[in-house]
Amino acid sequence: MSVAVAERSAAPPQHALRPVISFHGVSKVYPNGTEALRDVDLAIHQGDFCFLVGPSGAGKSTLVRLLIRDEAPSTGRIFIDGQEVSRMSHRKLPKLRRKFGIVFQDYKLLTRRTVAQNVAFALQVTRPGQRHMREKVEEVLWIVGLEDKLDKFPDELSGGEQQRVAIARALVHRPRIFLADEPTGNLDPDTSWGIVQLLLQINHRGTTVLMATHNREVVDLVRRRVIAIDNGRVVRDEAEGSYLREGTATL
Amino acid sequence: MRQVLASLWFALHSAGQNFRRNLGVSLAGVFTMGLIIFLVGGSLLFTHSVDTVLQGQEQNASHLKIYLSDNASLAAITNFESRLKHDPRVISVTFETKDQAQQQASQNPSIKSALAVLGSNPLPASLNLDVRKLTYLSQFNAEAKAMPIVDSTTPTDYNSDVIGKLNTVITVIEWVGAIIAIILLTISIVIIMNTIRTAVYSRRTEIEIMKLVGATDWFVRWPFILEGMLGGLLAAIFSGAVVFGAYRLFVQAAQGNLLSVPFDTRYTITLLIVLLVGGVAVGAFGSFLGVRRFLSA
Ligand SMILES: Nc1ncnc2c1ncn2[C@@H]1O[C@H](COP(=O)(O)OP(=O)(O)O)[C@@H](O)[C@H]1O
Ligand SMILES: [Mg+2]
Repeated sequence: MSVAVAERSAAPPQHALRPVISFHGVSKVYPNGTEALRDVDLAIHQGDFCFLVGPSGAGKSTLVRLLIRDEAPSTGRIFIDGQEVSRMSHRKLPKLRRKFGIVFQDYKLLTRRTVAQNVAFALQVTRPGQRHMREKVEEVLWIVGLEDKLDKFPDELSGGEQQRVAIARALVHRPRIFLADEPTGNLDPDTSWGIVQLLLQINHRGTTVLMATHNREVVDLVRRRVIAIDNGRVVRDEAEGSYLREGTATL
Repeated sequence: MRQVLASLWFALHSAGQNFRRNLGVSLAGVFTMGLIIFLVGGSLLFTHSVDTVLQGQEQNASHLKIYLSDNASLAAITNFESRLKHDPRVISVTFETKDQAQQQASQNPSIKSALAVLGSNPLPASLNLDVRKLTYLSQFNAEAKAMPIVDSTTPTDYNSDVIGKLNTVITVIEWVGAIIAIILLTISIVIIMNTIRTAVYSRRTEIEIMKLVGATDWFVRWPFILEGMLGGLLAAIFSGAVVFGAYRLFVQAAQGNLLSVPFDTRYTITLLIVLLVGGVAVGAFGSFLGVRRFLSA
């Protein structure tokens, strides 16, 4: 809560509203005893763009998995849109997950389906029989700049293009929150920059974006909110931060 | 409605795709299931046939013929006959004279000529008993042997304890059959389960995406359950046809060997329906178990 209050001065007016994501004293201990997150407090508002930074093994992916309730926290409470997800029943998970669009370092595309079919898949399995599916698919593929690759198969595309397909698939049901876990991890700097531009564009349309990354150049160029995690703890939360603490070589 | 149809189409389409993509595993699963259904159906039909034959035999078999000594007085015979008539274990008693015995035997031409050569009638008179239970036969057998009026060389004629033993055998066959059927059923569930696991494994990315974008568990599950049901149905159709054909051949062969096994149409139809429904149910249940582990996460 203190974080949200501290930021209010620099934030646009809608930040006065209830946060769209909030963590209250969240810890995660995996069954093997690994403490992946320790006592995390966090508030992210509708329309925010946040980088989640930290070295490999810091707990970034764990935080993302807790958000979509792929994992449950060991202690603490997590709210999405005012709904507590940490104790949500299994039955309600599909509805929760439709609020998110999510992409990963590996694009998780279906190799036997075309670009358009990959995107349509997300609609087919959540809203079967929906009308105007083709138009919706074409629209998001136009947003990510692949309107001329509709009938290509994933292995006919470059890495950056594949990630764009994954982004289109995550966007097609108009999520409120867009999660990207190391989306540029497998991409060269130029391509990475293109993906980040795309995420900024998505954010510009009003979608909350949370991007976990340890890509220093990107974070330092964009200068948006940075939440730094190290060894499971939030060590820094700045409104217009850089990858490392200003003027130091540490997080 | 549109949504239901689209879901159904998606599930059917994916099920068919799974089946084709893992054709080897799917066919092996269907073949093994088919073999098991054939074994279950075949043994059920076989036991049923043996049962039918034995029931007929039992009715014939509750006969006992007590041969009477030529020296027995008519009074003693009548006395014995009326005692038997009042015995609660007895259904009926008839007296067969020497002449009737000769007439009966003469129906066979070779015996007739033999009797003609002999000139006299060597056949004994007899009392023919119908008893209520097979187990009474041995009791009457013992009692008859103690009677002085009974022919001491061949006192009685009945199927001794063969029937009783066959009955025990049938009971054992039925029990063993039931146990084997349960074992086979378990095996087929495990087989379907593993076939579906292969399909689930080859679709793990798809399932992962489905869960990420918020598909419901049932939406993920249905294609696999349908695939299992499809496999079970195919197995049941093929093995049902084989069981049916084999049963017909068996009945024909048995009739050629003078062992009259009736073709029980009603039992066969019921059995085929049971095999179909069973195959589909086993397929559905096995698949349900097969996907369960992947959905709990
Ligand atoms: N499923 C898991 N079981 C046990 N330990 C895990 C699991 N997932 C991650 N971890 C451990 O938790 C810590 C945080 O991992 P992760 O959240 O993946 O970090 P990051 O994404 O920042 O690299 C690491 O030490 C990692 O080894
Ligand atoms: Mg990670």
